[in-house]
Amino acid sequence: MANGYAGRFLHVDLTNGRCSPFTVEDDRLRKFIGGSSLGAKLFLDDYPLDADPLAPESPLMVMTGPMVGSGFPGTSRFAVCAKSPLTGIWGESACGGTFGPELKKAGYDGIVITGRAEKPVILSIVEGEAKLTDASGLWGKDVYETTDLLKEADKGAKTLVIGPAGENLVRFAAIGNDKGHFVGRTGLGAVMGAKRLKAISVRGEGKLAKADEARFRELHREAIQQIKDSALAASLHAMGSDANMDIGMINGDVPVKNWSVGEDFDLSSALSGPTLSETYLTRAHACAHCPVACKRVVRVPDGPFQTEEGPGPEYETCGTFGTMIMNRDLAGVIKANELCNRLGMDTISCGAAIAWAMELFEKGTLTVKETDGLDLSWGNMESVLALLPRIARREGFGDLLAQGSLAAARKIGGDTVDAVVHVKGLDLPMHDPRGFHGMGLAYMMSNRGACHLQHAVLATEQGMASWPQLFPMKDDYKGTTSEGKAELVFHSENYGILGNSLSICHYLTDCLKPETIRDAFNAITGFGLDFDGLMACGARDWTLKRGINNLLGVTEKDDVLPKRIMTPLKEGAGAGSVPDVEKLKREYYALRGLDERGFPREEKLRELGLDELRERLYR
Amino acid sequence: MVKYNAMTQEWLDAWKQKISESKEYREIAKNWEGSVSMIVNPDPEKGIPEPIYVFTDYWHGDVRDFLICDKAKAESAKFVMSGDFARWKQVAKKEVDSTKALMQGKLKLKGDLTYVVRNIKTVNKVIDLLCEIETIWPDEA
Repeated sequence: MANGYAGRFLHVDLTNGRCSPFTVEDDRLRKFIGGSSLGAKLFLDDYPLDADPLAPESPLMVMTGPMVGSGFPGTSRFAVCAKSPLTGIWGESACGGTFGPELKKAGYDGIVITGRAEKPVILSIVEGEAKLTDASGLWGKDVYETTDLLKEADKGAKTLVIGPAGENLVRFAAIGNDKGHFVGRTGLGAVMGAKRLKAISVRGEGKLAKADEARFRELHREAIQQIKDSALAASLHAMGSDANMDIGMINGDVPVKNWSVGEDFDLSSALSGPTLSETYLTRAHACAHCPVACKRVVRVPDGPFQTEEGPGPEYETCGTFGTMIMNRDLAGVIKANELCNRLGMDTISCGAAIAWAMELFEKGTLTVKETDGLDLSWGNMESVLALLPRIARREGFGDLLAQGSLAAARKIGGDTVDAVVHVKGLDLPMHDPRGFHGMGLAYMMSNRGACHLQHAVLATEQGMASWPQLFPMKDDYKGTTSEGKAELVFHSENYGILGNSLSICHYLTDCLKPETIRDAFNAITGFGLDFDGLMACGARDWTLKRGINNLLGVTEKDDVLPKRIMTPLKEGAGAGSVPDVEKLKREYYALRGLDERGFPREEKLRELGLDELRERLYR
Repeated sequence: MVKYNAMTQEWLDAWKQKISESKEYREIAKNWEGSVSMIVNPDPEKGIPEPIYVFTDYWHGDVRDFLICDKAKAESAKFVMSGDFARWKQVAKKEVDSTKALMQGKLKLKGDLTYVVRNIKTVNKVIDLLCEIETIWPDEA
């Protein structure tokens, strides 16, 4: 067994109720390390790619990496992977919190779930022993209620839970970890719901073996000092991820009114990290082993959006339920965030679908007749809050939005698709490519669709981090140019993706020196990888997932930006600017070794050691 | 156009005048209260044999003291920013955005970061006006 790993994975077949440990040979661990990278490899090797995402034979994988459970800052992460019911291609979503380290302590590096239970079940794993129990009494309960009940039954357990949205197969259903952390993107809560798996509960006390404990401790101390010295870490602690709102609005990063307006400083000021800190913040909260504590805990004491103390919104949610729908009331964002958390829905795709509907309502394409009486005028939070449970329960107009914005637009037809802002079916997160062309390329090429987290482009292009020791880069990139961005995106993907395999938080990757992360990884695993070796793992990960998507039908025709993003804004830092898609794509394809169809070339697959994928793509 | 030697009182006076004359600054900075000091770390090879301490003070759109000062005065400011000469020069020549320099650890800040983010437009405007000064840098003189 390799150091850093628990040494075994768990396969759960819900159809026959069997729980069987299995191992992954060291060679595959060295090549794919862990997280979603190893998940993609297992998916390709062992499961039917063409199955419907919600079919019993489609696997749902919960994966950690070798640094998880080590105590190194930022290594609380785990990834959930499956074929996405929202996009129909590779789906994954990473999450912080507590579940990943606890799963390792309970004796497993990951869980692969197939089949479908006859009735709702809970998978509980205690000190390596896995069992399935009846969850009929929990079915229908929300994420917070279910989590509380599971913890009442087993105080020390860490939980993954779906809410009504997952049960009802909402295409952007999320999975909640201990209330405050969410597997949000690509609808993986619906996969859990289709399997009738209400929750996973884990508890353990195992200890992680490290190759060089003394060196690891030294590096841990260095990491803590680097975090103390980091302005980015200080900013995240003081204001959370929403620190981006004020600066982002100046720089042309923040979308306004479903991506149709370039700036609105009254909006950003009302919804910003400093405003949240000065009004509703009660305390900061941290994932396991994280001294940064970027999570917000908030309370709205009174008024129409009153909430009890609980997890607060991230920047993305302040975008989708704030600037995107022209809502200036931060308390309304907090209430919408709480409802999405309870119902178990991705706040990005859910908010994006509502922004799309509000635009159609303004144009008269949708009226109160279609919306079941809801006035979807811009900023009407009463209607938004009434709509959220209807989406989760798939009632009336809510059922239309529950299919995701792209499917909903295709159903209505006409030019309503032009108001959907997505890549490969995944709604754009809250960073505008017209202000940052590199982000546009990253959205085009991310393997789960428009994504700001599967790479480090946000940090490098916006200047939050600079790693000239890793690859050639400038200290300061102009956002509104496509010059030099293909190379920046290529390298930033390889490094950022690596974070996903190692299961280390992107924010911590931005705060820490790459040398410290590399050395800590090696002190834990003993793999002895240098930067070139690690970056090659990142390139292998990207190419593996691209190949899976090619097998699922993705071609170069899908590597596009939506019409709305290719329409210049009239105001703001991104005014008049759109990414030069052809140039970016041409340069990027050359760097990635993609052919004119958008497939990895055979020699690139050989170079990266992806021979099984080569055989599948070229046989 | 008159050129000024960087990090001198004359250079600071020219910067202060630029800010004072800016109607846009006065509007943007109407909520800003407090002083900001700059500490330039010594770099003999670049013509900076000793640390340089600069104290600047702003109040609701007005500009108050702009001084070359001693260490104690600089450290008394509401916000204290420090860094190597080369980094300050990059910021003053607009080669690197000051926020990015802070996030990348190339400049250090002591003070309430939330206040700075809240007033980031004021910070950017002050830097923009500095960039308009024709400057003679000691390593280029």
